[in-house]
Amino acid sequence: MTAVAGAPRLSRRIGEGAFLTFCWVATGIAILALTAILWSLLSQGIGGLDLNIFTKSTPAPGSEGGLLNAILGSLMMCVVAMIGAVFIGVLAGTWLSEYARDSHYGKVVRFLNDVLLSAPSILVGLFVYTILVAPLKGFSGFAGSVALALLAAPVITRTTEDVLRLQPVALREASVALGAPVWRTILTVIWKAAQGGMLTGALLAFARISGETAPLLFTALNNQFLSLDLTKPTANLPVVIFNFALSAYDDWRRLAWAGALLIAATVLTVTVVARILAREPRRS
Amino acid sequence: MNVQVDTPPETAVLELPPEIVKLAIKDLSFFYGQKQSLFDVSVSFAANAVTALIGPSGCGKSTLLRVLNRMYSLYPGQRAQGQVILDGEDMLSSRVDVATLRARVGMVFQKPTPFPMSIFDNVAYGVKLYEKLSKADMANRVEESLRRAALWDEVKDKLKESGLSLSGGQQQRLCVARGIAVKPEVLLLDEPASALDPISTARLEETIAELKRDYTIVIVTHNMGQAARLSDHTGFMYLGKLVEFGETEQLFTNPVTTRARDYITGRFG
Repeated sequence: MTAVAGAPRLSRRIGEGAFLTFCWVATGIAILALTAILWSLLSQGIGGLDLNIFTKSTPAPGSEGGLLNAILGSLMMCVVAMIGAVFIGVLAGTWLSEYARDSHYGKVVRFLNDVLLSAPSILVGLFVYTILVAPLKGFSGFAGSVALALLAAPVITRTTEDVLRLQPVALREASVALGAPVWRTILTVIWKAAQGGMLTGALLAFARISGETAPLLFTALNNQFLSLDLTKPTANLPVVIFNFALSAYDDWRRLAWAGALLIAATVLTVTVVARILAREPRRS
Repeated sequence: MNVQVDTPPETAVLELPPEIVKLAIKDLSFFYGQKQSLFDVSVSFAANAVTALIGPSGCGKSTLLRVLNRMYSLYPGQRAQGQVILDGEDMLSSRVDVATLRARVGMVFQKPTPFPMSIFDNVAYGVKLYEKLSKADMANRVEESLRRAALWDEVKDKLKESGLSLSGGQQQRLCVARGIAVKPEVLLLDEPASALDPISTARLEETIAELKRDYTIVIVTHNMGQAARLSDHTGFMYLGKLVEFGETEQLFTNPVTTRARDYITGRFG
């Protein structure tokens, strides 16, 4: 190369370098924040993590205890919520993708779902409080499940629609050309082809609701004792963390950290599993 | 004083003797919403023969194929006018059940479309829609279909593996096996080799030539060599009309219409 291109090349290289540096710095800040969060979680939470966490319920201040009631309550509410949310979300997403792709009604529903997707979770909690908790005059695990389901369903609807839309038209037509009705084509071919992605969506929804606190404050409230009755106020990890972390007692604060670590570990595991599932071999 | 000059005709469609006709199209027009894409097409397909449809992109040959098994009825804006007569019965009539029609008229698509299930289940999928077979009968049917599609020897030891694990050419022959497993009378092939390499294409062509003994085959193709090699009759379409239809050899060596001659000699398209 001759010197002709010298001047523009220099300015281009400066621009290139500056942009790259900017990207590195931004990425570094993000990673730093994440590491700081994980570090404080690990360093403060690991000390509180012992067998008692899984075998004893939340204690009075100063006495021995664990998080068993909160862990069980959270699990029960999340499972019930996911059953409802998967049912609604998968069917709604299928309807949007397979039956209402270009219809006006479908567009309206899709838009409303997107609004719901970004609705603040505290609003959802308040909503369930007004329609379930206040009229029935009592906090309950079911109300908590409903609130969590309302948060998870839009996520599942969206991901289901997205992965179903990715399936080639030719696949649908190939099944229909054999004489299969459309519903059977969806159930046996399209869902099957999209199952990895659909499962990923459900797992991500689960990851999202497992750490939600605001909607549970208005619905499930909390419970000092171990209870499997979802019609009563139900203990759950996020609210216990919220209460214990703000308390003046050292042992409560230690439990809060342990609980936070537990949730973070669960979310991390679920997300990693979701990624692995999403990577399953696809058609070329 | 008028000098009579023989101008070539605009269209030339050979009428087949009725006793060899399996499937006939009469005055077929087709609409995508407001847009008409087939204009009064009439043509017959002979039994146990291969008929090729050729023509430039967008000429309506694939659309024609998709009318024959009423695939278009999946899409609300699309509509066909005219008749598609299979063994004397109009298949476009609303009295004809679309599932029954599709059991009689199978289709293989441009890209291989194996279902996300095992090789065995791929072939059994269509059969299960119509027949309740015992395990042994189903196994026989699957084997017979795979043999006819010239795929059996390659997959007999891995019937439980996913259909997606096969190569492109094998996948396409799997789709052929899946299509013939329901025992159709007519087989529609929509550019079945366009996504395949030359060796896979050659194998698929051998399979098609074999299948002709039992089925009435209509193949849409961009590859004129393929049409010439495989087919007994060829139809040339242009802008939604059937311009010329006749014996393949005659159409390729001595086309009657100017348009067909120009297309075949490579002057356009």
